[in-house]
Amino acid sequence: MSDILIKSGDLIPPGLNSTKPIGENQTGEKGFSHVLKDAIADINKLQTNADEAIAKVQMDNTASIHEAMIALEQANISFRAMMQVRNKILDAYQEVMRTQV
Amino acid sequence: MEFLTSFKICASGLAAQRAKMDVITSNLANVETTKTPEGGPYKKKTVVLSSEPVPGSFNATLKEAVRTVKVDRIDEDKSVKMIFDPTHPDADGKGYVAKPNISLVTEMTDMITTSRNYEACVTAFDATKSMVLKSLEIGR
Repeated sequence: MSDILIKSGDLIPPGLNSTKPIGENQTGEKGFSHVLKDAIADINKLQTNADEAIAKVQMDNTASIHEAMIALEQANISFRAMMQVRNKILDAYQEVMRTQV
Repeated sequence: MEFLTSFKICASGLAAQRAKMDVITSNLANVETTKTPEGGPYKKKTVVLSSEPVPGSFNATLKEAVRTVKVDRIDEDKSVKMIFDPTHPDADGKGYVAKPNISLVTEMTDMITTSRNYEACVTAFDATKSMVLKSLEIGR
């Protein structure tokens, strides 16, 4: 997936941009897989935060319930957003695999 | 993610209303308290809220306008009610007892306002959440 380049939030399929050789990332550009990995790491962090918040409420009564619930919702929504991205990627992949040769 | 800002504001509102509720409960519980560690009767407490800008990156146009809320301080009402009750153990020489200047009715109405404000914050949270979830359905 590293040959798909991403620049300032725009997905640029290789081949559309003839000035850049395929697979070579310029400075300031990240491979799409890196962006995806970062996003997943962020979402994982939100999940961990939610876990910690709930543990705090259950164990030592210091945290408030609303904070735990909000952390849970943040984790929930970001996870759903990630699932949407995953679905789109899979759709695109399957579309490519259906290409007649 | 931008929706987190909205959640942050909701969370601050909920925390502020909870703090207010704590203080109101304390006032209600101590409506008859005549003794405190500092001496004298319990003093009625009032929460003072203040707003502050949302930390972190945010849309420039909204930066100054949108604020979170936090508890600034807790004010004490120093005044006391002198009630004539010579049988009370804490009565002074003339038979008067110093009681906290708390009106039960005012505290109850404050309590209703606070719990409705809390509910409003939760509703705002839910509305934000359904907006975000709706946007995930774009193109489906």
